[in-house]
Amino acid sequence: MQTIQALFQDFSTLYIQEYKPTWLKVKLQNATDIVEVAKALQSNGLTVISTVSPTDFVEDNRIEMNYFFEDILTKRNCWVKVDIPREIEQCVIDSITPIFKGALWHEREAYSMFGVRFTNHPDLRPIIVSQDFYGKTPYRRDFDWAAHEADTLGNIQAIYEDFEQEQAQNETLLDSNSSQMILNWGPTHPASGPIRLKVHCDGEDILGIDPDIGFVWRALEHLVTKKDFVGAIVAVERLCFMDNINSMVGYCQAVEEIANVEISEFAKWMRVLLGEVSRISSHMMGMGNFYNSLGLHTAFMWNVDVREYFLDFLESYSGARIATAAIEPGGVRYTLEEGMLETLQKAIEKFDATKEEIRAIFVKNPTMKSRATTKGILSAQAIEEYSLCGIVARASGVKTDIRLDEPYAAYDQVQMDYVTQQGGSAADRLKMLFDEIEQSVAIVRQAKAHIVANIANGNFNPTKDHMVKVPKKLPKGEAISRVEWARGEVLMHLVTDEKATNPYRLKMKAPSFNHTMILGELLKGESLSDIPLIFGSLYICQGDLDR
Amino acid sequence: MIVEVLKKVYRVSKALWVKSPATHDIRSHLMHDTPRFRGEHTIDYETCIGCDACNKICPTHAITMKHLPFKKQNIVPEVNLSVCIFCGLCEDVCPTKPEKSIILSGGRYDMISGGWHQDQQDFWVHVDIPQSYIDERLEAEEATRVKKEMMAKKKEAQLHNEKEDKA
Repeated sequence: MQTIQALFQDFSTLYIQEYKPTWLKVKLQNATDIVEVAKALQSNGLTVISTVSPTDFVEDNRIEMNYFFEDILTKRNCWVKVDIPREIEQCVIDSITPIFKGALWHEREAYSMFGVRFTNHPDLRPIIVSQDFYGKTPYRRDFDWAAHEADTLGNIQAIYEDFEQEQAQNETLLDSNSSQMILNWGPTHPASGPIRLKVHCDGEDILGIDPDIGFVWRALEHLVTKKDFVGAIVAVERLCFMDNINSMVGYCQAVEEIANVEISEFAKWMRVLLGEVSRISSHMMGMGNFYNSLGLHTAFMWNVDVREYFLDFLESYSGARIATAAIEPGGVRYTLEEGMLETLQKAIEKFDATKEEIRAIFVKNPTMKSRATTKGILSAQAIEEYSLCGIVARASGVKTDIRLDEPYAAYDQVQMDYVTQQGGSAADRLKMLFDEIEQSVAIVRQAKAHIVANIANGNFNPTKDHMVKVPKKLPKGEAISRVEWARGEVLMHLVTDEKATNPYRLKMKAPSFNHTMILGELLKGESLSDIPLIFGSLYICQGDLDR
Repeated sequence: MIVEVLKKVYRVSKALWVKSPATHDIRSHLMHDTPRFRGEHTIDYETCIGCDACNKICPTHAITMKHLPFKKQNIVPEVNLSVCIFCGLCEDVCPTKPEKSIILSGGRYDMISGGWHQDQQDFWVHVDIPQSYIDERLEAEEATRVKKEMMAKKKEAQLHNEKEDKA
């Protein structure tokens, strides 16, 4: 940490603070320094940029840029802030994309949502938003949504005209020697989900890929600011349903930090338990999707069969199978009653009974291996270069896991270790999913035993300890909280105003964003038939891709 | 020929006696039933205090408050089920005790499978208040109003008397 702190001696800073054990929070005075700061941080090992998040302060007439630099190996992170003017013409800052390739889309998102222009950015086009939002700034506090929505016909016309224009250029070069064209993969492709990959191809060979995303953009980061702190959980969990518990944990931790509330030990363990169950159910879908995109639906059916038992537990606990809304600021939302853990026991038994079969048939599948071990290979170097995280990073042998690097909830008391694979290929990522399901089941066992034992000896009161009161009005402040989500790191950056009843700004950094960004790099030079394989192996969900 | 046909008929009709491998008809019985299942709301207009809390917290604005012709406690929630996301926050914030006035835990789950929807109005939880209840409440309200007036008049008269006494 000292070495990072020393770096900032060369720059004029407004403050340098230690924040949490693993973070350093710095506010720069001059926005022109950002590139030099990024270079200095990168040469000191902070090689990953988590996200770029602007916050709009209308009254102070400034936009505050937040950069989250991380060192995914040695747990040193740096949060750099700098102010830039708010007027559209002067709202400019140097791009750090030439130094951190992982910032490419994050800066494009800041440009589309806040109108921040990045000089020297290699590809500054709007992303996520549709044509009717081009040149507008939807996430700024003073954006007039009502006026925008009033012009529905005009909006549809804009989208339609742009689409027409684009499709007219799809067939660029067609002759007897070569046929370059743009192929639309999605948004209604059976394997794609709501995403469109514009595949530039020459015959079967892929020349490049330009993903078109935003088909399920719900402006969650804006929606959250319209709800109170409790109501916001339903927007946060819609980041992606597959693993909804952990995203709520991340948000609630940020609220609790600002409110200065310590939750009970029982609630912490419940968060571990529910989070792992949710992770299992997500990974089961992930494994199924991998095979689904290859055209084998049996794996999906088998996995979903086991997954139902885990969803039974979530339903017993919260009353809903998918959209549980089970984590609230202050703890967990419901009491734990007798018999619920038996449902969980049933699920674990079901998993134990089927796991060898699933492993033998799907994880060790020779056809899959011959197809997937040579495709979509990501080196450990590429992981850092493109700021990847989660199972994609661990499949390439990078030891990163927020549960261990920055333990939250009760993970500091959980016995676990990094699960990694070395190859970094599509097959390794599938293996990772199954290994992690096994790890999660082991954690669920631990958490369950711990909870049962502590209820028995009277340390936990499952009908009272689940919630600590969090005040309705929060003081002015900001917090970040990171959780290891099913797909990777989720970073929540929450800003509140004086006597706040709802969030002022919530930035949700979701892992699929980076994982989709590298599709072009991974697929360049491959053939068209590899798209579903590599896309499926990256474990992308459009929910957290678009938000 | 006839024997052949009869044989076939016999073979096929055997299926009538064989027990189906399916154990549950999930249209009417859930595979997994839990008392916390968040389903259709039940609203108790008699205990509802009209505090508007459920309306305020609803993340999707599925709740509208129906106005009642009373002076106090004159609103009661109605839920549009096609907008509702069944998060259950309305039940959480409902302050009435011991029973909450708006409950979805343990509500019916067969909203789609049951075939009970004839039109869009079936996806609403309306509060049907019998006229007798309204009359009763109005009468009670009128009675308290009259009582209050009488008390006020009495007090006024008393004050008047006191003043006269002093004078």
